Amino acid sequence: MDNPGRRFATAAAFALLEHTRNRFALVLVVFYIPFWLTMEHWFVASAPTGFLLRATGRHLTVDGNRLTMVSGAINAVTLIVGFMMFMTTFKSLAFDRRLVLAGYPRVCLLVAKVGAMLLAAALISAYATAVICWYWDPVRPWLLMAGVFTAGVGYGGIGILLGAFLRNELAGLFVIIMTSLLDTMLQNPISNPGATKGGVQALPEYGPTQVSVAAGFSHDTPYGHLLLGPAWFAAMWLLGTAAFRLRTRDHRPAAGRRPLSAAARP
Amino acid sequence: MPAPYAPPPRALRVSGVHKSYGARRVLRGVSLELGRGTLAGIVGENGAGKTTLLRILCGQTAADSGAVEHRGRLGYCPQETVLNDFLTVEQHLRYFQVAYGLDGMRRAEELMEELHFSGYRHSRVAVLSGGTRQKLNLTLALMHDPQVLLLDEPYQGFDWETYLRFWSVAARLRDRGCCILVVSHLAWDTERLDALYRLHDGVAASWQPGRGGG
Repeated sequence: MDNPGRRFATAAAFALLEHTRNRFALVLVVFYIPFWLTMEHWFVASAPTGFLLRATGRHLTVDGNRLTMVSGAINAVTLIVGFMMFMTTFKSLAFDRRLVLAGYPRVCLLVAKVGAMLLAAALISAYATAVICWYWDPVRPWLLMAGVFTAGVGYGGIGILLGAFLRNELAGLFVIIMTSLLDTMLQNPISNPGATKGGVQALPEYGPTQVSVAAGFSHDTPYGHLLLGPAWFAAMWLLGTAAFRLRTRDHRPAAGRRPLSAAARP
Repeated sequence: MPAPYAPPPRALRVSGVHKSYGARRVLRGVSLELGRGTLAGIVGENGAGKTTLLRILCGQTAADSGAVEHRGRLGYCPQETVLNDFLTVEQHLRYFQVAYGLDGMRRAEELMEELHFSGYRHSRVAVLSGGTRQKLNLTLALMHDPQVLLLDEPYQGFDWETYLRFWSVAARLRDRGCCILVVSHLAWDTERLDALYRLHDGVAASWQPGRGGG
């Protein structure tokens, strides 16, 4: 039975199953997100803070406590989704290569992994947004969720790239944690008074932070900025896919790779 | 008048395969030819290039030069168990059933029975013993009834009973016309093999244990 739909469905189901069995990531989602946001809610002062919404060029004056919670949600989701995608890519590379050599279409595996990541990122973003909504009412919670989601997707791509290139588990985790922390710190005017300076636009969390802050505190919708997180994902995913193709290449001559259904049975 | 000798149809041909890692020349022109229904072995010291050769034969690694030709479906059992710790035994079988394009899992179930690990069908691979993981590793290479089978140290971690069962599975496959190439660093059970090669100095030469190298 040579059915592309069946191949994709099988790969997608197992990719999702892998995420649900990554217990450490699940613990992080369930406990770390509310813990992190609650800590910020309790300890960060509610002083007025200026934020440059570049999409409209307007300076917003927002509650520092709430702004930090938005940053915290982005930071937590990027860490978790980046970690999940790094682990799944890193740990299954040899297994995926074996599947490809056995005849599994590479594209099915890749698309299934991305589909599972999008679903996981959407659920985690919804959960983080719900925790924020527990403490205060963002102006547009759905757009806030979309902003946090695009941040998770961007770091999912970074996780895939690191998983495809790095040979050391600890190195991958360290790079994801440090990148996300630095990125979050530089976007937030409380931790970085120079957040209005040019240059922060080049960082992966820039677009998602702009969208999330706009959603939390204004009626503006920076549509273009909604695409920046996915653009980061696309760039990272393309590089990761190129590495995956190189590492799962079949070096046999084409005649030795005929589909099994076309080969004569004994 | 006796019938003229007809060699078995060729199943695997390797000619002049070279492979170097940097300045280290691992394979320096490996050539061999195996027919259908042959159970052959390759032995060699640690680092002789046995795993590199098998990876080239299965397409995982590119040779620097030379040619590899095989006829029919290929099965490859890697030396290290290449499995996914998040999935169960059953899920592995289903994944490879789809990869190989098989309608059912009859052969996989037979192999599980033969290798005595059907009871672990619903167990996560992460909790299995080394020997059971190796049984699954082997089953994934055999479940599509390959016509050419490459096995890299396939009995690592097996107990004695399983080791013997492995050889009976291999013999039955050979009798059904499968060409099997087993790589090992030890020349055990050479009487079970139809042909034996020794990989030495980057070259494979026909070899009989106890008669010196080459």
